[in-house]
Amino acid sequence: MTNAQTLDVAVIGGGFAGIGAAIRLKQHGIENFAILERGTALGGTWRDNTYPGAACDIPSRLYSYSFAPNPNWSQTYSGSAEILGYIESMAARYRLRPHVRFGCTVTGISFDEDAGLWDVAIEGNAAPVRARAVVLASGPLSNAGFPDIRGIETYEGHKIHSARWDHDYDFTGKRVAVVGTGASAVQIIPELVEKAASVKVFQRTPGWVLPRVNRRTNPLTKSLYRHVPAAESLARRAWFYGHESVALGVVWNTPLTRVVELVGRAQLHRQVRDPWLRRQLTPDFRAGCKRLLMTDDYYPALQRDNCKLITWPIARLAPNGIRTAEGVEHQADCIVFATGFEVSKAGTPIPIVGREGRVLAEEWSRGAYAYKSVAVSGYPNLFFTFGPNSGPGHNSALVYMEAQIDYLVRAIGTILDRDLRMLDVRRDRQDRYNETIQRRLTATTWNSGCHSWYLTDDGFNATMYPGFATQYVNQLRSLRLEDYHVVSADASTRAARIAAVS
Amino acid sequence: MAAIAMDFEDMLRKIKDRQWALADIDWDGPGAETITPELHARLKPFMADLMWIENVGARGFAAMAKKAPTETLREIYRYFHAEEQKHANAELALMRRWGMLEGDEIPQPNVNVKLVIDFLDKYSDDMSLSFLGTVIPMLEVALDGALVKFIMDEIEDPVCQEAFKRINADESRHLAVDFAVMDLLGHAEMRKLLIELVGGWVKPTFLIGVLSYVPLLNKMRDNIVAMGVDENKLYKALERYRNVGERSEFARRLPMYQIVKMHGGWVVNRDHPYHLLADALVKITARVPKRLLRRDPTWAKEITYEPAA
Repeated sequence: MTNAQTLDVAVIGGGFAGIGAAIRLKQHGIENFAILERGTALGGTWRDNTYPGAACDIPSRLYSYSFAPNPNWSQTYSGSAEILGYIESMAARYRLRPHVRFGCTVTGISFDEDAGLWDVAIEGNAAPVRARAVVLASGPLSNAGFPDIRGIETYEGHKIHSARWDHDYDFTGKRVAVVGTGASAVQIIPELVEKAASVKVFQRTPGWVLPRVNRRTNPLTKSLYRHVPAAESLARRAWFYGHESVALGVVWNTPLTRVVELVGRAQLHRQVRDPWLRRQLTPDFRAGCKRLLMTDDYYPALQRDNCKLITWPIARLAPNGIRTAEGVEHQADCIVFATGFEVSKAGTPIPIVGREGRVLAEEWSRGAYAYKSVAVSGYPNLFFTFGPNSGPGHNSALVYMEAQIDYLVRAIGTILDRDLRMLDVRRDRQDRYNETIQRRLTATTWNSGCHSWYLTDDGFNATMYPGFATQYVNQLRSLRLEDYHVVSADASTRAARIAAVS
Repeated sequence: MAAIAMDFEDMLRKIKDRQWALADIDWDGPGAETITPELHARLKPFMADLMWIENVGARGFAAMAKKAPTETLREIYRYFHAEEQKHANAELALMRRWGMLEGDEIPQPNVNVKLVIDFLDKYSDDMSLSFLGTVIPMLEVALDGALVKFIMDEIEDPVCQEAFKRINADESRHLAVDFAVMDLLGHAEMRKLLIELVGGWVKPTFLIGVLSYVPLLNKMRDNIVAMGVDENKLYKALERYRNVGERSEFARRLPMYQIVKMHGGWVVNRDHPYHLLADALVKITARVPKRLLRRDPTWAKEITYEPAA
């Protein structure tokens, strides 16, 4: 490779994780890094998900980095625009812009063992990049895809995916079909019924719906948080431990799970009068097994005169609409697919070639695994954010992400400070870790029998962390070098590095 | 004889591949004139009952979709539930084609069908799969099977023939799964089967179910006779339950199968004293005041003759 630029760190992805990693790298004194972002703006999931009603279902106080506090959150659960504003403000505040390379689609990475460098292949004419370490911050929720429904190509109306919203399309007076009833759908539907002539909601599986009490933040509170940061930190802690306690019912299948279900049932009874509609909306799996839905507006929206819940299986799409198995063609001017993302539970988002030519996608073909979700044996100096088994079911993803970032910055600091060729996690430690994780997963709600995007088709859970967020954070608090093969750079490595770059 | 083994995955694929829609049929096509005024008068209540009987199966499958032990079977029952609704829709579309509907009116069924629907709507979600899985097949062979066959034999209208050809194909898949599941259920431990049987019988609600079910078969026989058709067609359909069920040693182990089969045997034997009770119940239920019957469940309002909505 010629004219390749050698970075200390290549951060792949400019979403929450990439920005957070960049901030912490800078705070650690590491400046020779780049954020490689395929889009033209920062923000990742929050840049892409701009559908009407898009909001976070974790309180903003907790859905933000503790090292980049924001006293100005306007409400308990902020909308996507405000969250995106927060991400952009962090980029400005920590002067990250010079580090960002937009339109930079990484097509694969491979490890040069002699030089102790990762070759980062970039689509198009962009200058190739080599890096001592790579942070794969591409995120699990970054690839939106239309579902595999028969005849989808024959539909002649307008198609919109929730994660690629078409803001130019005017829903006023239109007949709209919404496919999916997950976290995005329950936010979109209440907005659509306000505008569209009719909204038909196609449901496959109903989820547990819990109340979401959203309040505007009092100006006095904002002022307090601005002037007394400790007060904000305290509020964040309160939210954190509040959510931690929910784990007892949501992460593990316990009597408290019934309590969560009771709250869900009470919400259903309070908001839905018709017994058949209630039956259609009653989940047949344990609360927590699939992602919990937090909304007060969804059930009332479904019962509006211009809205209808359809639970018949979709047979196919036809030029004018959706044909369901009860033989009726539900005609629609526009179909909104709120069908989620192609979450990678097996395989990798880009080809990753590690030591001795091993290919990570092949090793992960039966389900992904890693050491503490951050590192994989055989792929030195490579760190994942939101890697395998790091998903929370009850607490803020940002808490988990922050722990991963601090861990990987510590590791990268070690690589650079000690001039290591390789920091490669030991296979036996990784295996032992995963055995424990999989054993602990058997007692969780996610593995209690439902089908969800958390599991592979074989029922392997490569997604969720079976414990409290506190446990997750604690295990990443220190970098135990005895868990790694630590290989120092020597003269030949340095020669290989020079040869590789020139 | 060997068990009736079925690859349910394969069956689900088949079900998905063979979906049809109301829009696939030209409801205004020629042939409606083949229904003479005299036939029209007799056919109208018959079709109304048939359309509602589809909903008996529909409600049963809806309950079974909640109980099925595997996701594949749950999905199959979800499709069957929808297909029964499709059959009801198609039958309503035929009634409209033949000028049997006034405005948006949904014709009402006879009181016995209504009682069974009431019962299933109220209690079927609480019944076990082995219970539903043995009774629903009987209702399917006896009512759906016999009545659909009767329509195909007696009505010449080509549009009707086309619709019922499709309905029949669906029903044959329903029955294949019904019996395969009965066979599967029969693999359970006898102790479990007996517990479920006793658990099912001792419920006071079960008595309501029996009192709804018993007159239903006799009432449908009366209907068939009123249409000028040989009641043996119904009996032959009833015997099919026994004939197919007997092929599986596991289905035979199901106590509920034995009971339903025995009952079928009584129904086809017009000399059996059982008919004193059943016919009496038909007469009594006919006098049930309308206001005592529950209003139609909201799902019943979903039936439509419109191919597009």
